[in-house]
Amino acid sequence: MSSRMGGLMLALVFLFLIGPFLIIIAAGMSAGETLAFPPQGLSLRWFWAVFEVESFRASFVLSIVLAVGATLLALVLGVPVAYALARYPLPGGEAMRTLLTSPVIVPAIIVGLALLRYVVIPLDLGIVPALFVAHTALLVPYAVRVVSASLANLRSDIEEAAVLLGANRVQAFFLTVLPNIRNGILAAFILGFVTSFNQVPVSLFLTGPGVSTLPIQMLWYMEFTYDPSIAALSALLALMSMAIVLLAERFLGLSRYV
Amino acid sequence: MFTSRTTGLMLVLPAVVFIAVGFLAPVLILLAQSLRLEDGWGIGNYLAFMNDGLGREVFWRTIKLAALVTLAAAVIGYVAAWAIVETRPERRGVLVGMVILPLMISPVARTYAWLVILGRTGFLNVLITNLGLSEEPLRLLFTETAVFIGLLQLFLPLMIISLVSALENLPRDVVPAAQTLGAGWIATFFKVILPLTREGLVIGGTLVFTGSVTAYITPAVLGGSKVLMLETLLYQRVSVANDFASASVIAAILMVTTLAANRLLRRLATPRRR
Repeated sequence: MSSRMGGLMLALVFLFLIGPFLIIIAAGMSAGETLAFPPQGLSLRWFWAVFEVESFRASFVLSIVLAVGATLLALVLGVPVAYALARYPLPGGEAMRTLLTSPVIVPAIIVGLALLRYVVIPLDLGIVPALFVAHTALLVPYAVRVVSASLANLRSDIEEAAVLLGANRVQAFFLTVLPNIRNGILAAFILGFVTSFNQVPVSLFLTGPGVSTLPIQMLWYMEFTYDPSIAALSALLALMSMAIVLLAERFLGLSRYV
Repeated sequence: MFTSRTTGLMLVLPAVVFIAVGFLAPVLILLAQSLRLEDGWGIGNYLAFMNDGLGREVFWRTIKLAALVTLAAAVIGYVAAWAIVETRPERRGVLVGMVILPLMISPVARTYAWLVILGRTGFLNVLITNLGLSEEPLRLLFTETAVFIGLLQLFLPLMIISLVSALENLPRDVVPAAQTLGAGWIATFFKVILPLTREGLVIGGTLVFTGSVTAYITPAVLGGSKVLMLETLLYQRVSVANDFASASVIAAILMVTTLAANRLLRRLATPRRR
């Protein structure tokens, strides 16, 4: 394959991967009442309109709170695991790893349904705690994997040195290990946040009337309304993700962890 | 003072308990329920699902679409990954970043884009009617093709990334060597490149296939109730029909399909011993 041919193919692939976003942005900038491309006149009114819709605002807040909370809890659970797997002899270490990474293998929709039937209904758990448990369970494997990757590059002798110099094990962890895996933890946080924020199948059965995450709210809305607001909202979300990814790539090299 | 083994256990314990109680136990109960009948246990629910014409149709459609998406992703993925690896290293980083970027964007937004393109008043129909190719706007949405396109766009990046790292590890001179020895492009690909990058292909293929089998948003938005896949059928059975027996069967089928695909593809990844 000549390199000119390769370049042309690559351009087509990127047109397929990224082109739709440009179309979405254009459709969101329509001045008309219904969704259409090319847009009927240009205006930013739908970009402002989405902020006026109460259900979008409420579900956006819930999605953010959920993503931050679940990611933090997943890190609190996952960082010690990654550390233990790297440093301590564990009985059945492989089995442990399999158990802890199992949420990635199980289709998320099953997790939502199972939690609904056997945890939420019997225990009369609220919607928000249920979403919180489900999202955290899905994120633990990411936290373990990304932090493990960053621990793998860290030699254990700096910790030994700290202990020899009089620090106890806990101090040694917080003073020598943690600062060194900070980027890995930040990368895990960003990946976890994005994953939870975009997650749909796990939340499908767990969201109820009045309480919903943003992506699910959008799915509901687009079933009944055919105006450009979802296009505008999608464009805003795409821009938000791009900003997060570009910043993360610039400062952390996020692509190493994906 | 604790032994190092106890310390290790204590560090993993909270996560293990959380996953076991908040995830694994409910999932296992749900899967077990698929074998539960009104009088005892058995595979009756599965037989009912497979004898139901819709259930069988949806199962095979899901497998077919996932397989086609995987195949298309592999073909396009090799071409794209090859072109990326051929570029200078400093440009390569940017290109890989551009491949990863869509993965971070909400799948709802990504799928909605196809609604704008394929809808009745969408981009493609405007184009088709204005060019006079058709009097009436065509029905492009709620077809298997629409779902196929949506899934391909969603999962193609995963295949490209896997193949880029596989091709980066391919020794630089094997391709010129094969061609010096008289192999054409097709022979070079099947006899040299494919065997040496099999592992990357399998990793990418597993991600694309299982991702497509378990996709919800794409079939829900682009397929609707006309083109049901396993997950949209599962959702319908629970929230519309309140038919929990067949929902748990679909859940188990999804689980088994995912695990089987993982297993099978991993076996393909390990080179055959002769």
